[in-house]
Amino acid sequence: MKLAIARQMLGAELLKLRRNRTTMVVSLLLSVGVVVLVYGFKAIQHASNPVQYGPAGGLGGYSDGVRALGVFFGQLVAALIGTEAGTADIGSGVFRDLVATGRSRLSLFWVRLPGAILITWAFSLAGLALATVASFIFSGGLATPSVSLILESAGWIMLCTSVVAALAVGVGSLTGSRGATLTAVIGWQTVATQLLLHTQSLGSARDWLLTASFGQLMPVGGELAGISMATGIAIAVLLAWTVVPAAVGSWRTVTSDA
Amino acid sequence: MNTDTPIIETRGICKAFGERQAVADLDLEVPSGSAFGFLGHNGAGKTTLIRMLLGLTQPTAGTMRLCGRPVPEERATVLQRVGAVVEEPHFHGHLTGRENLDVVAAVRGPEARGRIDGALRRVGLHDRAGDRVRTYSQGMRQRLGIARCLLADPELLILDEPMNGLDPAGILELRTMIGELTGEGRTVFLSSHLLDEVEKTCDAAAVIDRGRLIAQGPIATLLAHERQELDVGCEHAPRALDVLAGDPAVFDAHETGDGVRVTLAVADGAAAVNARLVGAGIAVFRLEPVRESLEQRFLEVTTRIGAAQS
Repeated sequence: MKLAIARQMLGAELLKLRRNRTTMVVSLLLSVGVVVLVYGFKAIQHASNPVQYGPAGGLGGYSDGVRALGVFFGQLVAALIGTEAGTADIGSGVFRDLVATGRSRLSLFWVRLPGAILITWAFSLAGLALATVASFIFSGGLATPSVSLILESAGWIMLCTSVVAALAVGVGSLTGSRGATLTAVIGWQTVATQLLLHTQSLGSARDWLLTASFGQLMPVGGELAGISMATGIAIAVLLAWTVVPAAVGSWRTVTSDA
Repeated sequence: MNTDTPIIETRGICKAFGERQAVADLDLEVPSGSAFGFLGHNGAGKTTLIRMLLGLTQPTAGTMRLCGRPVPEERATVLQRVGAVVEEPHFHGHLTGRENLDVVAAVRGPEARGRIDGALRRVGLHDRAGDRVRTYSQGMRQRLGIARCLLADPELLILDEPMNGLDPAGILELRTMIGELTGEGRTVFLSSHLLDEVEKTCDAAAVIDRGRLIAQGPIATLLAHERQELDVGCEHAPRALDVLAGDPAVFDAHETGDGVRVTLAVADGAAAVNARLVGAGIAVFRLEPVRESLEQRFLEVTTRIGAAQS
């Protein structure tokens, strides 16, 4: 496929996603809105009772914000946008018309991935930017995050959200159903994973959970999954969670009747 | 492509869904530059064939050529100049009409972007192009679907039941547009169960029933009966029947409300019938060939096949 067409297709994918008002508003609330709410609440608490409540910002506040974005709210945004990207054409019936243009089904699938990831990044990085600013503004004299930590955090959040967005695109392309995909991805990441992480009897099998790998690579302090593993294994797990759903989604896109 | 080459050609095309044979051994030839009607009852296999032609589903057996090239082998090249609306046109409801065309133009390539305005004007949607498609009526969606086809600058337009949801004015507009498109040398392949519309819009047609092709050719040929019938408006119908009884030009005759209906035994027998009646002193005030509608012909053929199969 020519680069010009790939760029056009990516532009069209971004258009489809950003014009979906509901998805955009919910994503904004889950990224920027949550940061505003949490830092605002903590700032008010600190202002009303500085002895009992520490400053909202500083390194501690920043770490909390990064963790929340990378492991929870950013993933919700990624699931939402990835699901939309994976199911929009199929759900609306437009996929058939796109296939009838003669363009390969594989390219119709693959363009969904960068589309979903770029929009997800926009929201999660906006949330991180706000959290960073808030960490400085509300530091109350505490240590603030360094530039390198901010960059590492940005990279980590981008990694976490990319993997979940790719997972949602893959599952969405497989099922073609927005509801089923959202339930499966969010249910897995927020409910099932938490239960499995705390099931000690599973032992090292828990290494294969996404959140365990995210925890291994997390640049800020604090415990995420309570599981330690080699960085190489964590990267392999993330690759598997990206490649396998994408492969299954692309297979379904190529082989299903349109 | 040579204009003598059929723009659509299928040989022995079959498609089965489990035990059910949706399309069976279909040989179809659609001449280039024509408005071609693809007729059949709902569920006859029309959409299944269209879906196979466009690579949306795979045939169980047989070969197909579009624009002279084999498909699905060369579908990517062929479909660059084919526009299609399969079943009802679908769009992203949250996008505007123009944005929906933008999405398809992006997939088709840079030239398609330059055709968006022209296509919207041509289907009369330029003023509503900035509105979200979810606010469009069914007729507007049909027109937007055709605009989407035009982005390909198509040699061939495949329109599946395009009259669905259109009001009489919309049908007339579409008929005119199809005429203009074929006038530009494009081929319009139009599937429909509205026989009257196909008769008015198309030059040639194929009739499919229960997945099998039962007739194809120019409309006039499809309508031609083995023996031509003639409505003769005349006085003294019983006497006219007596006069015509021994005429070698007449195969059969029976009385009607204002005269007799004559089945001719020879082509161009109308003049002989007229001369015979006038010669016998019977005043003839009307001679009119009985023109069977495509609908009558279609029902006649499909009923005959249905009876033979049961």
